[in-house]
Amino acid sequence: MTAASPPVVVLGGGIAGLLTAHELDRHGVAVEVYEAGPRIAGMAASHTDADGFSYDVGAHFVTNRFMAALGMQVPCRTLPRYGEVVHLSPKKHPVYPIGLLGVPRFVRSAVWEKVRRPQRDLLVASDRFRHDYGRKLADEVALPLLEAWSGLPADKLSASVIDKIPTGLAQTIWLRIAQRITKRAVMIGYCKEEPSATGVFHVYPEGGVAAICQHVADGLAQPVHVGQAAEKIYTDGERVVGVRIAGRDIETHTVISTMPINRLPQLIEGSDRLDRFRRFQFRGLVLVNLKLTGRALLPDVIVWTPHGFPYFRVTEAPLAMPWIAPDDKTMILCEFGAQPGDDVWAMTDEEAVERCVSTLDPLIPDVRSRLLGARVLRQPLGYPVFALDYEPDRAALAAEGTGIAGLHSVGRNGEFDHILMEDTFWRLRRRIPAIARDHQCCSVVATSNQGVSDEHSPI
Amino acid sequence: MAQDEREPVTLEPAACCICGGVDGTPVGVGEDFEHRTSAHSFLTVRCPTCDVIYLDPRPTMASLGTIYPDDYPSFAFDEAEFGIVHKVRSRLEARRIMRAGKGLPANAHVLDVGCGDGFHLDLLRKYGPTGWQLHGIDTDPRAVAAARRRGLIVDGRPIEQSEIEPGSIDLALCIQTIEHVADPVAILRAIGNLLKPGGRLYLITDNTGSPDFKITKGRHWGGYHFPKHWYLFNKQSMRKLSAASNMDVAKLSTMTSPVNWTYSIRNALVDWNAPSWMIKQFSLKAAPTLAVFTSLDAALSVVGRGALLRVLLRRPQ
Repeated sequence: MTAASPPVVVLGGGIAGLLTAHELDRHGVAVEVYEAGPRIAGMAASHTDADGFSYDVGAHFVTNRFMAALGMQVPCRTLPRYGEVVHLSPKKHPVYPIGLLGVPRFVRSAVWEKVRRPQRDLLVASDRFRHDYGRKLADEVALPLLEAWSGLPADKLSASVIDKIPTGLAQTIWLRIAQRITKRAVMIGYCKEEPSATGVFHVYPEGGVAAICQHVADGLAQPVHVGQAAEKIYTDGERVVGVRIAGRDIETHTVISTMPINRLPQLIEGSDRLDRFRRFQFRGLVLVNLKLTGRALLPDVIVWTPHGFPYFRVTEAPLAMPWIAPDDKTMILCEFGAQPGDDVWAMTDEEAVERCVSTLDPLIPDVRSRLLGARVLRQPLGYPVFALDYEPDRAALAAEGTGIAGLHSVGRNGEFDHILMEDTFWRLRRRIPAIARDHQCCSVVATSNQGVSDEHSPI
Repeated sequence: MAQDEREPVTLEPAACCICGGVDGTPVGVGEDFEHRTSAHSFLTVRCPTCDVIYLDPRPTMASLGTIYPDDYPSFAFDEAEFGIVHKVRSRLEARRIMRAGKGLPANAHVLDVGCGDGFHLDLLRKYGPTGWQLHGIDTDPRAVAAARRRGLIVDGRPIEQSEIEPGSIDLALCIQTIEHVADPVAILRAIGNLLKPGGRLYLITDNTGSPDFKITKGRHWGGYHFPKHWYLFNKQSMRKLSAASNMDVAKLSTMTSPVNWTYSIRNALVDWNAPSWMIKQFSLKAAPTLAVFTSLDAALSVVGRGALLRVLLRRPQ
C-alpha cells in the first residue's frame, strides 16, 4: 500500500529537514527531501579557517542523548564545562540563573513583587518579567537582554516569550553538583522536550554540527535532492495536493516545510489561510568572532551584557570546546541584535570589529593587543520575535499548525519557536507518527475508488 | 587496545518487540562501561503501549562479535577464577532449576536456550535425575565451544533451524537470554513449538520493575549491560510478551540477585573515574559486596520487587 502512495515531500535539507526524513524512514513512509541550496546542512554548516579556528553559525547544543538517539558513529567529545554569567559590573558576574539569588536587591524586589501583586494572567512580556523576577532584575537584566535580541520594546512583546524554566531550583543545584563530580558539562535546561539528568551532558562531534547532518543524510533511504527550490505548494483549499519544485509539478498530499514560516505563504496556491503568518518577524544577528591570543579571558563561557555594551552577549566557546581554537589562542564572539537594512546590519566588517574591540575593555582589558584577526557573519534568522501584534496567530500556529491539511511546518524557523536542535528532534519524534498515519490514510482514500479507509495499512 | 582490531560497531533502528511501535520515549543513555567495546553512547527507550524498555538504535547482527568480548562471563564463568562466588551461585541456581523441573518424567528432555558455556546444563547433569536428556542451543561459536568442552550436546544454529523434534521437549530453560535477542516473540514461539503440549518454559530475565532500575535507569543501571541487552521487561510487559508468543503464564514472580545492584554502582564509579581500588569492590568476584546486595535484594523479592523476573510459562494443551 505504501508503495502506491506518492512520497511525502520535505522542503529544506538542513538539520530539521534531514531529521524529518529520518523519522519518516523509521515509519516506513516514502519521502523525498528537496534543498534549494547547493548542499545539505543549511544553517548548521560548520567551517574551519586556515589558522585552525572552527566555527558554527550560531550556537548549537548537542547532548550525548541526542547523539545516542541518532546512532551517531562519529566520535563525540565531551564538553568539560559550560556556564553562563551576567555582567553586572567589571567585578560582579553572578552565575545565571542561581547566582542572581545572591544579589540582595534582586531578591528583595522579587519578594516584594510577589507580595504586592497576586499571580494573574499577564500577557505583556514587560509585565510578566517584572512580576516573575521582580522589578529590579527585570529592568536591570532580563528586559534589556530581551529587547536587544528581539528588537522591540518589551511592552510590545508577548509574555509567552518567557520559557517555562525546565528545571527547578533544587534540581539545578543537584545538576551543578553532578557537573563538578563528573567534570562534564551536564545539560541544565537546554532542552524543553526531554528532562535534564545527571547522565545527559553536552558533547560535540568531530567535524561539528555538519557531521551530524552528514550522518543523518547518509542514513536516509533516498538521497537529498540539492539545488531544487520549491516554487509552489498546491492546495484544494483544504488539503495539499502537490508541489512545484524546480519547474516540475509533483503530486503529493503531505508537505513538511522547514522554511521560515513567514516565507511559506508565498508558495501557497489555492488558499490564503497562511497569509496571517507573513507578518511574523525574525530578528537578525551580526556575529563578530575575534581571534585572540590567550585563553580563559572571560569569567565563563557566556557573559550576558545587559548594559554598557553594543552587543548583548559575549561568548568564549573554547572554554567549553578547547579543540575549536589552537592552543593558547581563543575566540570571543560578540553578538549584536540587528535587522537587515538597519545601521548595525549595514556596518562594514572593520567597523563591526572596531566596535567590539573598543568596548570590550571592561571584560578583556588588553583586547586590542591580543587581536589576531576576526570573522564577521550576518544571520538574518537569529530569533523569532514574539510580538504582541501577532501573538494570537503565533499561538494558533503552535497549537493547530498551518491550517491546511497535510501541510506541516517544522524546525526552529518553521515552528517559529525558541527551540534547539535536540528539541526539534524530540518534537519530530512525537509529531511524525500522526503525520505518517495521516499520509497513509489519505493514500488509501486516494487510491481506492470507494474511498474506503477503515483499514489502515500496516507499515 | 584489543577492541581496535575488531570490526567497528554499526547500529540500526529497533522497534518494540511486542507491538512493533517505533515511538519509544527516552529512558536512559549510557556506554559500554564494562568492556568498552565501542565509544558510542546508547539510548534505551520505553514503548508507551507495552512498557517494554529497549535499545534504539542497537548494534547490527554483524557487530555481535565485537560487543561480546572474549571474557564475557557467559563464555567463561569458571570455578577457579570466581571461587566462592561460583560455589554459592551453583548451589542456588541448581536448587532453582530443580524446582522448575519438579514432577518431570525420569526420561524428560530438557533444552537450555542460550546455554552459554553450559553452566546450567552442567548443574542439571550433576544434580538432576540421570535419565534426563540434556540439549543446549547457543548461536555464539565461543559459547558453543566452551559448552562442548564440558561434554554437552549443543546446537550452534538459531533455534528456528535446530534439528530438535517439534513437540519433544518437557522443559525449556531460557535463563538471562531473552534480553539479548533481536526478536523475543519469535524465540518464545520457537521454544513453544519445540515443547510438548503443556510443556514448561522456565525464563529468567532482568526486572525493570525493581528499585535498582528506578534509581539508576538514567545511565548506570547494571541490567542495561550496554549495548548487549536489547529488550527488558517488568511483570506487565512480560505478560504481554507471553500472550504475544502464545504461551500461558503459570507463575510470575521475582528473584534475588546481587548482580544488577553491584554493576549499577560499578558503572557509576567507572563513569566518574573513581580510583580502581574502589571499583574493584564492586565486581562479580567481590564476595562481601555480593553478600550485602544479596541480602538487600532478598528482602525486595519478598515484596515482589527483586532484581530478576522469574517466569514459568506453559505451552497451551
